[in-house]
Amino acid sequence: MALQSKRERRHFPDWDNPQECIFQRVAIDLEACDGCKLCTLVCPANVLEVYGEKGRKKARVKASQRGCISCNNCRAICENGAIGATQANDFVGFYRQLGRGNFAMPRRF
Amino acid sequence: MTESNAAVARFEDAEEVERSLGRVARISEVPEGADWNAVEQVMLQRRSIRRYKRRQVPAHLIRRMLEVGRYAPSQGNCQPWKFVVVRDADVIQGMEDYCVAACQKLSRGLDYTTHPVGSWRHRITRAKARLFNRLQPNMLHPVPMTVVTAIAEGRFAVFHRAPTVILLLMDTRGIGSPEIDIGICGTNIVLAAQSLGLGTCWVGFSKFLNQSREWCARLGMEHPFELTEAITVGYPVGDPSHLIARDTHEIAWLEGGKKEVLY
Repeated sequence: MALQSKRERRHFPDWDNPQECIFQRVAIDLEACDGCKLCTLVCPANVLEVYGEKGRKKARVKASQRGCISCNNCRAICENGAIGATQANDFVGFYRQLGRGNFAMPRRF
Repeated sequence: MTESNAAVARFEDAEEVERSLGRVARISEVPEGADWNAVEQVMLQRRSIRRYKRRQVPAHLIRRMLEVGRYAPSQGNCQPWKFVVVRDADVIQGMEDYCVAACQKLSRGLDYTTHPVGSWRHRITRAKARLFNRLQPNMLHPVPMTVVTAIAEGRFAVFHRAPTVILLLMDTRGIGSPEIDIGICGTNIVLAAQSLGLGTCWVGFSKFLNQSREWCARLGMEHPFELTEAITVGYPVGDPSHLIARDTHEIAWLEGGKKEVLY
């Protein structure tokens, strides 16, 4: 049995359709976020920004942006562990993700 | 015994030879659940770094990285690589400008998301993109296409304003699949960099430079050599060393006459 039907393989998702190109939205713990801005600098997809007044700034995902690749660079640079992607992105049709399990931290076997 | 049988016998006897010599090499036992060793730690902490300090990387560290690159495994030991190290800001800027212009052309020609839905421009570029998507499904994946437009609009830098850029050139006459050897060689380089406290990022968009006769001549990308990947190098901004979660992938495990699926 094929993993993808012919019909699925022929379907290329629309780049700007959020139902067809499902990009992760990172989760942000607003209690822990200190608005340091480092995550917005290292995000390769440029989907993060800080908002709020001085002294109480927080990170958030930009409203109009697509493209988070779940690389977790934001998590890697966050001193407070306040931000991170918990899932991979997915697509419909030709690019549908196959054979993926859940996200996991490095596991020692 | 025929010659080929002799060869098989020699292969099977390898352990016997060791024993007969009385020089049995020790097996290092790693207990279950052991802490990460230094190499594993480096591999787990490596991130693709796109924000660098302005400070230049000492030349001897670049030489160290290339030195371990030289020892990467390759098919038939063909070593199908050639390195170009660029450390002049104006040359890197020139490469940047060329790749940005190429992205602008690509974005204008194919990225329908920049046009209002229903407009004739949207319709035409979308039809073109659909066609090219079939022809070049790897190039026109939705992820890099968002980046192409970000580069075209100046929201993203191709070479990340890094102080040093290493170009990995491939000898296209390499044995088997030389692209794989370039990947392995580059992996040695970026892991060495990580262990030296440096940050790196693979830059596939650098391949646009192959289309420029001028850059090919300037950087030595002439037949049989071809630019395959670039690696930016520099000191990372901030401390991107916290461990992160990643996807798990299906592992088919065949043992004891059974097949199990693990993640």
